[in-house]
Amino acid sequence: MTLACSALRCGYGREPVLLDISFLVENGTFCAILGRNGSGKTTLLHCLGGILKPDQGRLELDGLNIARLSRQELARLVSLVPQESIDIFPFQVIDVVVMGRTPFLSLGQSPGRDDYRLAWQTLGLLEAGYLGERNFNKISGGERQIALLARALVQSANTILLDEPTNHLDFQNTYRLLGRIKELCRSRGLRAMAAIHDPNLAYLFSDQVVMLKEGRLLAQGPTEQIMTAERVSELYGTETLLAEVSRGLSLFFPALIKRYRS
Amino acid sequence: MKLQAGQNTAPGLFGNHQVVIAVVLGLLVLAFLLSLFIGRLESGFGLLSRVWETWKYKGASGLAENVDWLVLTSVRLPRCLLAVLVGMGLSISGAVYQGLFRNPLVSPDILGVAAGCTFGAALGLILSQVQFGLVRLSAFVFGLAAVSLALALARLIAAHSIIVLVLAGLVVTSVFNALLMILKYLADPYSQLPAIVFWIMGSLHRAQWKDVYLAGPLIGAGLALVHFLRFRLNVLSLGDLQARSLGLNPPVWRIMFVAVSSLIVALSVSTCGQICWIGLVVPHMARTLVGPNHERMIPVTALIGGLFLLVADDLARTLTTAELPLSIITGLSGAPLFAYLLYRNRGGGWT
Repeated sequence: MTLACSALRCGYGREPVLLDISFLVENGTFCAILGRNGSGKTTLLHCLGGILKPDQGRLELDGLNIARLSRQELARLVSLVPQESIDIFPFQVIDVVVMGRTPFLSLGQSPGRDDYRLAWQTLGLLEAGYLGERNFNKISGGERQIALLARALVQSANTILLDEPTNHLDFQNTYRLLGRIKELCRSRGLRAMAAIHDPNLAYLFSDQVVMLKEGRLLAQGPTEQIMTAERVSELYGTETLLAEVSRGLSLFFPALIKRYRS
Repeated sequence: MKLQAGQNTAPGLFGNHQVVIAVVLGLLVLAFLLSLFIGRLESGFGLLSRVWETWKYKGASGLAENVDWLVLTSVRLPRCLLAVLVGMGLSISGAVYQGLFRNPLVSPDILGVAAGCTFGAALGLILSQVQFGLVRLSAFVFGLAAVSLALALARLIAAHSIIVLVLAGLVVTSVFNALLMILKYLADPYSQLPAIVFWIMGSLHRAQWKDVYLAGPLIGAGLALVHFLRFRLNVLSLGDLQARSLGLNPPVWRIMFVAVSSLIVALSVSTCGQICWIGLVVPHMARTLVGPNHERMIPVTALIGGLFLLVADDLARTLTTAELPLSIITGLSGAPLFAYLLYRNRGGGWT
């Protein structure tokens, strides 16, 4: 059960955004995609989700060639939690969650009793059953991410792609959301691929990292091995220190912080 | 964990959409029956009792000569049927466009259908003032031509952008409006110009069985198709990225829905002229009642749309001794209603 990406080249126009990207992600793994703004994190996620067609290279999911799957078939395996989701009609949260069943519905079919039951169960699993009947546009950013995560889970038990899932979340919600995703990877064999800005969050929660720099693969592999101070410095183009903050817990700091706090 | 509890509740005014559907359907049937007996010629039970007596004493053959019966079956019945059909059609097109373009301020003429139809009708009226068949055909053809032009133009600029599609619609609408102005300028101010102006204001007074036979099956099929595929509108209204990740191909579905809605609008406008506001305001009424989920709001939209235009047409033919154009009624009632709905739903995101 592997997601395999080999020699991937992908972009929007003639200039490729991503060049020669290769990695393997087993199921049950939380994989963080790290990189600066414009390094190609979102493009990689869109490629994996079949939203963008790769120019070259091969994407394989559990032995299936992604390019050969129809959009509907792929959507049953891979779901996406988009960066932002607002400005839609004021749907109830449960109606948004149940849309995760779309790839399983035949033409002209609407979600039925079983689909709604699954949606409610998934919201319950994320301890968010109370959100079900509320207006999706009126809940907080954190609650919205939970609802979209629930939709992604309803859609696919195989692979979930998350585009900067903690973008609009407060301090506590950030840790809770990533913790939940990590638990789901452990308990359900889910594979999560998340574009993350903060290297510390990746360091704390992910099992594996994929580092992108200017559209190329800088490094990839198990988080513990790959995330060294040197590599992180190189990735972000700024000198970074890894310092132990309490026993067994280290965090990254940009060296220039000393300029302001001394 | 809440399981069964609120499965069917909607964020609209009324939790149970089935009750709303039953009530609106009941009102529609009631209004339809009443509408048959409202009119300039005769109203109320006098007509009914005379028809009944003719039937009792002379049988079915006697009915054929009875003026009241003729008015009932060959004037009012097709007119009421057409009012319901066109009302449903315009409202559903409005709902579809609003969902597709993710914008509640969109009405079915955003891609230039109505502008094209109006130009076509004016052209037909100038070319042959008497042949209404030609006027309708011309309106229908130019309506669809306008949408096709907008779609082609959008395709030329950027393949899949919604904003470009809206802008292309704006361009096409402006061009056809300018062409219409040329026609108005050139038209004979004593005969042709008034005909054009009245046609634009919309009316069902020329409705015949022929129109029902022509427009009925096509509008009906369009309505059925939208009803059948209405869950897809939910997914499409999330935007292209999410619709794609949920396994749909948004451009293909968009073209399909635009084609069906445009056909409905072109048929409606070419049979009874431009009727404003229905396509904009009725979907909002439906959303206020049962919430924005298209599974529930599409049937409610159709029923309210039919009811709205039926009642508007009743008013148009009874308010004054002369018949009023429909757009006066729908505009005067629709616009304030829209303002009220905006006020009522304030702060709730888009209605």
